[in-house]
Amino acid sequence: MKVMVCLKQVPHQDARLDVNSDGTWIQEDNIKFEINSYDTYAIEEALRLKDAGDAEVVVVSIGPDRVTQALRTALGMGADRAVHVNDAAAQGADALGTAKILAAVAKEEGADVIFTGLMADDDNASAIPPMVAELLDMPSATGVTATEISEASIKVERELEGGALEVVELPKPCLIAIQTGANQVRYASLKGIMQAKKKPVDVKTLADLGVADSAGHAHNKATINKISVPAKGDTAEILEGSTDEIVTQLVGKIKELGLL
Amino acid sequence: MGTILVVAEIQKGAIRESSYELVAVARELAESGGHDVNGLVIGSGVGDLATDFASKGAGKTLVVDDVSAANYNVDIWSKAIKAAAESTGADLILIANTPSGWDVAPRIAAGLDCAFVSDCFKIASLDGNGGNFVRRVFNGKLDAEVSTSGKTVATVQPGATAAFEGSSDGGTEALSTDLSARASFVEIKLAESTGVDLTKADIIVSGGRGVGSAEKFPEVIQPLADALGGAMGASRPVVDAGWLDHPYQVGSSGQIVTPKLYLAIGISGAIQHLVGMKASNFIVAINKDADAPIFEVANVGVVADLFDIVPALTNALKAAKG
Ligand SMILES: Cc1cc2nc3c(=O)[nH]c(=O)nc-3n(C[C@H](O)[C@H](O)[C@H](O)COP(=O)(O)OP(=O)(O)OC[C@H]3O[C@@H](n4cnc5c(N)ncnc54)[C@H](O)[C@@H]3O)c2cc1C
Ligand SMILES: Nc1ncnc2c1ncn2[C@@H]1O[C@H](COP(=O)(O)O)[C@@H](O)[C@H]1O
Repeated sequence: MKVMVCLKQVPHQDARLDVNSDGTWIQEDNIKFEINSYDTYAIEEALRLKDAGDAEVVVVSIGPDRVTQALRTALGMGADRAVHVNDAAAQGADALGTAKILAAVAKEEGADVIFTGLMADDDNASAIPPMVAELLDMPSATGVTATEISEASIKVERELEGGALEVVELPKPCLIAIQTGANQVRYASLKGIMQAKKKPVDVKTLADLGVADSAGHAHNKATINKISVPAKGDTAEILEGSTDEIVTQLVGKIKELGLL
Repeated sequence: MGTILVVAEIQKGAIRESSYELVAVARELAESGGHDVNGLVIGSGVGDLATDFASKGAGKTLVVDDVSAANYNVDIWSKAIKAAAESTGADLILIANTPSGWDVAPRIAAGLDCAFVSDCFKIASLDGNGGNFVRRVFNGKLDAEVSTSGKTVATVQPGATAAFEGSSDGGTEALSTDLSARASFVEIKLAESTGVDLTKADIIVSGGRGVGSAEKFPEVIQPLADALGGAMGASRPVVDAGWLDHPYQVGSSGQIVTPKLYLAIGISGAIQHLVGMKASNFIVAINKDADAPIFEVANVGVVADLFDIVPALTNALKAAKG
């Protein structure tokens, strides 16, 4: 069985976010990147299938040179191979364009199961996974916190609101977008990182994948024109002073509320 | 001119509030742009609900009414919405960003090979060539203005606008569509009730990822909750990491709470957390990042390291109580 995992490298959760000079995205120079948090759970879910049987796990990422680091980390965790789509035309592609590229990779790989994250921590779109599934004419489920695989299908639990879960069964091939907390994500061991150096990373362009004429930023149907710090509404009264002074004011507020 | 298609969602036998919020968005755009508004209702035994939707703002409403559509199904919904989009010639298809909305909406855009915008909270304009949308990115820290070209599918953040309360003309019409599905619904599992019921607490002290590790909850957060006679809560990453169990989680996929006092400590204020606590009577946020979105909903904020403030506050409260 071939399992493909789509992963995105995003700014580190604690990175300082400054708007770039043309005001359309963040300043990416000199900040740390990491694997999208949701995708770490997707990798783990795929590796569990590998641990349980004969699955080959291929990790795929679209992005510039820095993405090699993210793919190496996933290989270090235990993935078998990586595909890195590195093409300037793919940078700034909209969700549908990005999905077309991932679908082309999935077709080449003949993936039986595709795992993705539910959402990317940077664009917060939750858009690409169902698009990839539609383009490949596969069923899909998003926000998945548990999977149970059998010969021909996968039964999944999808998170709804307020802690309720929806149980759905999908025949293979299918795509599953994983929610955070689905599992306990492993770390790349030292041995794993050493082995990862020998694992293959195929680098591809949009032309290699046959999507140069349909995907990439030149074909965008949705474009970000401006990124900005949200306008401040009625923000909090910020307490100033030394720790003691702040604490005294807080105790005063709590007393005023009649809660002491 | 053109058409806006509004997709309704049924929950517990009624059309959800978020569907009427979509109607409000559609009606406002229609008023300035002269668009028609059409509705779509998918479900089983939903004839009356569809009639209601048609008369309460959605206008002419297409209906897929079949036992096989009794529960949300990604295959049936994607086929039905695509069919409705085609038959109405919609330029804009609006779907609420709920668990079923985000599951199906991107498929519609891919299937129609058109533009997609997710989880927008404002649609600034719409014309024959697309529209202008505003949405949050980076977990609430930045806004993005997105423009689309041509036909567009958009999901709208629940709660971003008030629900439409007016009326409209327009009856219902059955939409015939392929109801076969590959995905099969098995069951809904409701949240298990446990000892922790945050919805009854008057005071909640919640810790987020900023608290840093499992041990810090009993060491730093619980003592403050105890000093206040309140309950302890948490944001999702805390629960995902296994630092606390799910019943402590506040937010869209946890509990919705409205205590008299809510303290958010080391929590950034992503929308999914905010929907779970922003209706609290009084909110105090402690965060070392002055730009954290949590300060937008807090009454009082402290921009500082939580490890300086929280233990000092705990001691001061103990002293004040004597
Ligand atoms: C479908 C879906 C459902 C979700 N449901 C929920 C939900 O129910 N509940 C929920 O909470 N989230 C939910 N989320 C996740 C949500 O999007 C955010 O990822 C999450 O709320 C972030 O949690 P956080 O604020 O603790 O972490 P972060 O966003 O990482 O914020 C940590 C904060 O701590 C501050 N900090 C760090 N160190 C210190 C220090 N020493 N002193 C003071 N401050 C410090 C930082 O400045 C930062 O603001 C959901 C997401 C999705 C997609
Ligand atoms: N550039 C990318 N390369 C590989 N996978 C991606 C990329 N962008 C998004 N994805 C996948 O799609 C998921 C959802 O992303 P998004 O739709 O952008 O919120 C992510 O969690 C990844 O699994």
